[in-house]
Amino acid sequence: MTKKLVLMKKLHIIFTLLFGVAVLLFFGLAYPHHLHYQEQYQLFLFDSSYVWDIVRLPGGVADLLGRFCTQFFLFAWVGAAIIALLLMAVQVLTLRLSLFTLHSSLFTLYGLSFVPSFLLWLFLLDEHALLGGVWAVLLTLLALWLFVNLPKGWTRRIVIIVAIPILYYMVGPNWTGSHYYRYPTVTPYLLYAAWLTAIILPLFLSVKRKVKSEKNLARQTSAVPLGLKQERRQQIFHFSFFTFTFIVMMTLVWKNANFKAEKVMQYDFMACHQQWNRILETVNAEKPNNQIGVTVQNLALAMHGQLVNHLFDYNQNGIAGLLPDVQSDATSPMPTAEAFYQLGMVYVAQRTVFEAQEAILDFQKSGRCYKRLAQTNLIIGSYEVARKYLMALQKTLFYRDWANETLPLLGNEEAIAKHPEYGRLRQMAYGEDFYFSDHVTPEMLESLCFSNPDNHLAYQYLMAYYILTGDRESYAKLLLQMQKQ
Amino acid sequence: MKRNTFLPFYLFTFLLFLASCTETVSDAKQENGQPQIYPDYVGVTIPVNIAPLNFCMADEVALLVDAVIADSRGNSLHSQGGAVDFDLDDWHALLGQNPGDSLTVTVSAKFDDGWHTYSPFSIYVSPDSIDYGLCYRLIEPGYEVWSKMGIYERDLSTFDERPLIENTQFEGCVNCHSFNRGNPADMSLHIRGPHGATLLRKDYGPVTAYNTKTSQTLGLCVYPYWHPSGRYIAYSTNATSQLFHSAHRNRIEVFDTASDLQVYDVEKNELLLSPLLKQDSIYETFPVFSADGRSLYFCAARPPLSFGEGTGVGLLDSIRYNLCRIDFDPQTGTFGDQIEIIVDAAAQRKSVSFPRPSYDGRFLCYTLSDYGQFSIWHHEADLYLLDLQTGESRPMTEVNSADTESFHNWSTNSRWLVFSSRRDDGLFTRPYFCHIDADGVVTKAFMLPQRNPRRFYRDRFFSFNVPEFIIAPTHFDGHQASRVINDESRKDFGVRP
Repeated sequence: MTKKLVLMKKLHIIFTLLFGVAVLLFFGLAYPHHLHYQEQYQLFLFDSSYVWDIVRLPGGVADLLGRFCTQFFLFAWVGAAIIALLLMAVQVLTLRLSLFTLHSSLFTLYGLSFVPSFLLWLFLLDEHALLGGVWAVLLTLLALWLFVNLPKGWTRRIVIIVAIPILYYMVGPNWTGSHYYRYPTVTPYLLYAAWLTAIILPLFLSVKRKVKSEKNLARQTSAVPLGLKQERRQQIFHFSFFTFTFIVMMTLVWKNANFKAEKVMQYDFMACHQQWNRILETVNAEKPNNQIGVTVQNLALAMHGQLVNHLFDYNQNGIAGLLPDVQSDATSPMPTAEAFYQLGMVYVAQRTVFEAQEAILDFQKSGRCYKRLAQTNLIIGSYEVARKYLMALQKTLFYRDWANETLPLLGNEEAIAKHPEYGRLRQMAYGEDFYFSDHVTPEMLESLCFSNPDNHLAYQYLMAYYILTGDRESYAKLLLQMQKQ
Repeated sequence: MKRNTFLPFYLFTFLLFLASCTETVSDAKQENGQPQIYPDYVGVTIPVNIAPLNFCMADEVALLVDAVIADSRGNSLHSQGGAVDFDLDDWHALLGQNPGDSLTVTVSAKFDDGWHTYSPFSIYVSPDSIDYGLCYRLIEPGYEVWSKMGIYERDLSTFDERPLIENTQFEGCVNCHSFNRGNPADMSLHIRGPHGATLLRKDYGPVTAYNTKTSQTLGLCVYPYWHPSGRYIAYSTNATSQLFHSAHRNRIEVFDTASDLQVYDVEKNELLLSPLLKQDSIYETFPVFSADGRSLYFCAARPPLSFGEGTGVGLLDSIRYNLCRIDFDPQTGTFGDQIEIIVDAAAQRKSVSFPRPSYDGRFLCYTLSDYGQFSIWHHEADLYLLDLQTGESRPMTEVNSADTESFHNWSTNSRWLVFSSRRDDGLFTRPYFCHIDADGVVTKAFMLPQRNPRRFYRDRFFSFNVPEFIIAPTHFDGHQASRVINDESRKDFGVRP
């Protein structure tokens, strides 16, 4: 190997690592809640039926690998590291495949080996993009790498004949069986572009090499090694081309990143993990002006007993900022469901969470929803239904411990009564049955408040409701009533 | 060193041998009572052609369960494992040798302290066979939004299940599959959502998509029931709403704010209407034809005073449905001129839903709940059997449980009833079967057998919705149907002038 090639190889490793670090930092620092979002809309089960149901479909292996990796997104840095590794692997394989046919004079095009990875990065900026798509590209490249490394002859032909249908089954005809995007009717063009680029790039370079070879054929016999200046010039050009590609792609990534959605997801994440202090710190730094943010902000204020006194210190969205109407999607109802749950409206919370899970577009289940459904069923005494959810969670990696801890509570009335969360919510829950529909009425809060004077959260929400609707009479009445109690 | 190339084979054979090994039940402690098994198959009556009744111990701490099932001639089957799993062919051979006879099941279970053997119990093999299969919708028991769902058929003599159509094939939901006396040649199916339609199939022909809403009817056709001749289908039209309980185990109230009945003439593509069946002051629903096709049974209730947001419990629970009947002339497609109340449930402060007459015309099974018509969400709902010869109704105490019993259907020989029940966990409905003889003697119900019942029912988060018997495989082409659904063209229902 020439000195130049060794140097280039080292530079390539450094560039790949730089790229990996950029991906890691981006998803770890700037986009962590997109990863949490992904994790909460799937439930990876270590269960043969679950695995079989996925892998039996064309594209199922890529899908399964994507789902397996996505479960780690519960921890954003781990998720970021996984994405970084996958994208680095795609780049390295693209480079390897290109190098196989690459003439040294084409090193200048080295930067192009990052294009598929960057396209996949762009693809993953979308919260509906699924990691299975990245795995599909990676598996395709791995198969290609295997093919080109096989000795020419019958062995290679036989392996290709056998492997093509296997590959087809692993990565799929993704427009039918498998899903690499959460909206089944949306075509993930960026993913296809990455896929095609990863395959076409080595072919393109191969053709280019052949053309160059023919042109240089006459000169090859009397080839003189490049001079030092020429070599340095080539290295500088090589580095510049990489830098140019990198800057263009990074700009594209930054421009296309949905930081607004990231902020909303952050609020949802904090509400999900009941990080009330962190929510207040966040809203104090930057007052939210989106519905989810306001809902979470008000819940955190109420959890700190500050909702009534500090209501107008923050942006409000009318009564929709307290307990917004439940929409039939998987995302927007979740913070509202958290508020219902904390208020003691357990049946309402249960319905909201159930509907949100049912609305997941690709029919997956959610660890977060299963957990909450187990909790609400436990609180209302539907122990066998709670057991069903808990036993499913026992088959997961990260919810197993919680499920194991919760299972002994089923049917144990004394333990539930003593439980700081379930016991409190049982006490705070409605004493009297009534019907409710798709939006919260003041009567629902009144019933909660008057039947449980200790339910301070319900009191604050009701007061806030009166304030936001300008109902001074009811406000004064409630104030008087609570003072008497 | 020479490598032993047969080592993997030996290892595999050894593992296979280990896997096929069963423990000998030794030093077993004799228990006085019968075993608590899941599903509860103790003392049940089963059809001669049913799939193996595999089971496990109800107590999940059991390490192994061992079962020997024997007939009076000395034939027996043995199975041991975490769950009993009888060989399919051996099972059918044993049942085939014992129609009208009882089988004795001896169960032993291994716990940490060793083996326990229980008093044997019997399973009676009825000579009355059951239909080929069951068709049902699988859906999560939810509220308004749905995830994956579909219509499936299950071969009752094996464990094979196959989807007819799933909502992955189109955008929307699918419900109300209906066959003419279990014959899948004639079939009706509703699609709801952006591609809404009613799919009809006659004589295994291609499916046609219909728009069932007309200017003279309340809305889309809903609950279907085929006339025995195959020429007519009775439908209801329902303006349905839902409200949710804030603190009640019934969780949901599904109720009508208006409903009517009509009969569709399949041959002439026209709806037959009667002013008696579309009265504003009456909610009519769940139409079913009598076995001879000359009567139309249905449920009818007087509406409450008013509906609105914040509806109190007291208002909805005043809607109580009676079982009614009207004459129907299949020759002319005309209705009688009076409505007869068959079961005055409202007088008992109860409500009838899902009337289903047996095909031999002997009985009519219905669900009785405290109020309303959507008894699926009513935990107090029970099955009742009306003797059509005497007019006497009685609760089917042999099969009713503390939880919901709701939708049901008769096998084509009228000897088996399938019904959905929430007794297992209070939420997810599962199909149960019971035998009803010509005198109305009802046997203990048994749950739809599965290869590994505990695993199957625990892992599956679906309810079995609207179980319908089928006499043969449906041969329903889901792909062709989805093309028809996704195509915008619909054939309109006409109305007889």
